[in-house]
Amino acid sequence: MRMRHSAVLAAVAGSALVLAACGGGDDDDTEGSAGPGMINFYTDKGAWEPQFLEVSDVSELSLGLGLDFTGYSDADQYSAFIRQSFRTNEKPDLFTWHTGSELEDLVAEDLLAPTTDIWESAISDGNVPEALREHFTVGDEQYCVPMNAAYWVMYYNKPLFEQYGLAEPTSWTELMTVADTLLANGVTPFYETNILFSFVWFQTLLAGTDPDLYNALSNGEASYTDPGIVEVMEQWRTMLETGYFGDPGDQTTPQDQLKNGTVAMINFGTFLSGQLNSVSMVSGTDYDFFVIPNANAELPQTSLIFETGPMCTAKDAENETSALQYAEWWMSEEAQTTWANARGDVSFNPKALVQDQALAELNEQSAGDDYLLLERYFEATPTPVLTAALDGFGAFVTNPGDPMPILETIQAEADAYWSEQG
Amino acid sequence: MAARVLRPAILLILGVVWLAPLYLLIVNAAKPAARYASDQVWRPIGEFALVDNLREAWDLAGLADAVTSTVIYSVVAPALAVLIGAAVGFGIVALRLKHGFFWFVLVFGGTIFPLQMILMPLFVGYVEADVFDTRLGLVAIYTAISVPFAALVMRNFLGGIAHQVFEAAVVDGASTWRIFWRIYLPMSGSALVAVFILQATFVWNDLLLGLTLSQSDEVRPLMTALTGLQDTYGGSSLVTVLAGGLLVSLPTVVLFLSTQRIFSRGLNLGQF
Amino acid sequence: MSAPATAAPPTSAGGSAPREPRRRDRNAYGWPARAFSLPAVVVVAVLLYLPFLWTTWISLTEYDGLGSPEWVGLDNYRAMFDDANFLTSLRNTLIWVAGTITVPVALGLLIAMLSHGLRFGAWLRLPFLLPYAISGVAVGIVWVFVLQNGGGLSQALDTFGLPGADTRWLLDAPMNTVVMIGAAAWQQTGVNALLFVIGLQSIPREPIEAARLDGASGWRMFRHMYWPMLRPLTTVVVGLGLVASLKTFDIVWIMTQGGPGRNSETLAVTMYEETFVNSAYGSGSAVAVFLSAVTFLAAITYLRRQLSTERTV
Repeated sequence: MRMRHSAVLAAVAGSALVLAACGGGDDDDTEGSAGPGMINFYTDKGAWEPQFLEVSDVSELSLGLGLDFTGYSDADQYSAFIRQSFRTNEKPDLFTWHTGSELEDLVAEDLLAPTTDIWESAISDGNVPEALREHFTVGDEQYCVPMNAAYWVMYYNKPLFEQYGLAEPTSWTELMTVADTLLANGVTPFYETNILFSFVWFQTLLAGTDPDLYNALSNGEASYTDPGIVEVMEQWRTMLETGYFGDPGDQTTPQDQLKNGTVAMINFGTFLSGQLNSVSMVSGTDYDFFVIPNANAELPQTSLIFETGPMCTAKDAENETSALQYAEWWMSEEAQTTWANARGDVSFNPKALVQDQALAELNEQSAGDDYLLLERYFEATPTPVLTAALDGFGAFVTNPGDPMPILETIQAEADAYWSEQG
Repeated sequence: MAARVLRPAILLILGVVWLAPLYLLIVNAAKPAARYASDQVWRPIGEFALVDNLREAWDLAGLADAVTSTVIYSVVAPALAVLIGAAVGFGIVALRLKHGFFWFVLVFGGTIFPLQMILMPLFVGYVEADVFDTRLGLVAIYTAISVPFAALVMRNFLGGIAHQVFEAAVVDGASTWRIFWRIYLPMSGSALVAVFILQATFVWNDLLLGLTLSQSDEVRPLMTALTGLQDTYGGSSLVTVLAGGLLVSLPTVVLFLSTQRIFSRGLNLGQF
Repeated sequence: MSAPATAAPPTSAGGSAPREPRRRDRNAYGWPARAFSLPAVVVVAVLLYLPFLWTTWISLTEYDGLGSPEWVGLDNYRAMFDDANFLTSLRNTLIWVAGTITVPVALGLLIAMLSHGLRFGAWLRLPFLLPYAISGVAVGIVWVFVLQNGGGLSQALDTFGLPGADTRWLLDAPMNTVVMIGAAAWQQTGVNALLFVIGLQSIPREPIEAARLDGASGWRMFRHMYWPMLRPLTTVVVGLGLVASLKTFDIVWIMTQGGPGRNSETLAVTMYEETFVNSAYGSGSAVAVFLSAVTFLAAITYLRRQLSTERTV
């Protein structure tokens, strides 16, 4: 009988696990939650932990609230985790997200706490430019606050420019002359990759040629097979075939490529400054950047691509109130000065004191009338279309050829998406 | 005999080829970040910065926090899985469980599901069962994920033991438990150890499950901390990531080294 | 601390031989057999099957991870078979299967046989095992070193004056799949060798000695003595390779993300892209279910054939 007994024991033990896995859920959950004054904060920018904690140190003193940091390094896993967490009682207090269709998805399911009041006071206090508001607006309300802001500019290796007597170009023609000079001296002008950031040059060429078409494309009013788009792709193809771009399969980080002189210029977001600093390059000495001139000289304003990542609060999160308090503080001058300097990046708050001279200037200029701010292609494009486009551009830069089949593939995805939106 | 020379010679040559990528790993992890160049990966340079890089990786990734929990996971879970796998193998092969092939396929079938697709339901289930972000929860899933492999190896290994061994023990009046514990398990030493070290390595290197089912520093395993170094939005220089990868691999390398003795012993089942 | 009660079944089972009279011989150990098998079945069912059941249900719905899934029947499956990329994935996956159940298995067997019985055999095998012990993060970076344009492999070919230094290893199909199989084989061979060694160790000495006295050696010895007796472990190695290769994901994702232009995508990468990148949980789950069904059929067919004949050896 003892054998029978042990079978029963094993069965009991087994069902204990079943119960553990299926039951529960109604009791108050305190597992893993933050202590008093701490807010659970999630982000897919896992590498920015030190900078977030630096800001958290300041907020603990001035606000009495700190961040309990959980970082992901994989954006896709992160997105799935956040989406699923709304089904549970582990709703995130504060988390980073994306503007555009990703944000609309969350609002459509009524998962976010609105931040309209916070925006009102931030704008009237001059903590954030009014222009930013539309990217955080769904319907009549605002949701989330901007976590960061970045502009897409051209970084260059300064010693290389000096060596060949090159100056920052102020027109597209000058930029091409710079590229030709570098090429003639055996230096690859521009960085290119076929993974993730394969869209960057498409974005730059289109925004600098026809910003209206750029906007129309992202909201489904224009087609990827329109003549204007094809023309831009052909221009890109000519540049690729001339040898302006580095090896798209080179997975060496952009900061290392610029540092080693593998390429002379990188078209990238201003968060690259932080990455360049981390490989001990000095702003103004080893590297610098300029705003990319329009490909079409006729345009009245210079197209400047910007991106902003929201920081959101889940509706009914455990610490919803203090999380919103934190979001409000995040937009303040104090928070933004700390943040921008910790990251070595610009801030959306014009009052923030950015120490990096070049970035500080850009921060000021961008608010002026000379520039037309355009949302980054990555956020401006609905996700399924974006995925198809990234694949298509990746193939295009690897094997430049007739762009039409690629554009047709992307457009098919776009047609499917926009028809569903009704 | 020529074979006595030839066999080690072939193994040595193949071995050198096999070690080449590891050479790249170590040589480049030892370069100072400023002097790494992608078109000269084979060339070692005079300046030896391995220790600095290791220290930087250790500090940046905050690996210290994660070591304890990861050790627990990669010891407890594979040990349980080996026992559970051996038990089911014993039940099927020696005790001739009715419909044994069906049950075996059911257990082994646990391995066919793509891990990525069970993450989300597991996460939701874990939160509802209050085992999200607990060490218990992670040990449970690591055990479950290791069981199919353990069951396959142990079932087939035990299948190689003649049934007469079992019958003889029964005649001697031994209980099934005793036969399992005192006869079959000791006879399977090398298989048990092999399954254990392979699964321990798997758990040690796991990223996905740890990422999804935990969040606090005391529970999160090592690899989730390490990948924080490597990120689209910056992260560290390549040499630091390599040094970090090397650092966290040391324990598993030591594990493999220290268990080699078991596989060189001429364990011979025919003697039993 | 941690050990869940469930997971430690044998320790709680102490006992003597069943006292029941042996009426039907085959079922003499019915209860103990069930008791020994139960923990494995329960753990796997609850933690692996149950979650996948959810995935199966999701594959019949349209779901973006938010709100509630919307029933669409078999639409996701229809769309999947209509997708041209699906065929590319299928083709690449089949290349992976063919590559994985031959190259690392043959090499593993070779290494096991060569080192078997050698005095320092275990140490000579070690170089092949080390790749498995190295963390995936580092392995991924190292292979990118080796395979990117002008990377380690091209540099080496160039140095030795061999052709092929200009090959774009990771950019052109099907070359990229082939070289990634090489990278996977690099990591898997040692494990296979280790499993074969365990098989070799379980071979009784007497018949081998007897055959040797009869003058058998070399290939004949291997063909007629070792190979048949290694069968149980060959089944393990090939069975695992089959399952793992059908699910190939990590190495492709690290090295090419299935690109450029999806030309190195495998089924698991398609599944991942749909689910995690596009948040199209329904279509991703459909690929997952299809993939699991194929894997299950392949595994069960193979195992049934192998396990049903093994006793005749």
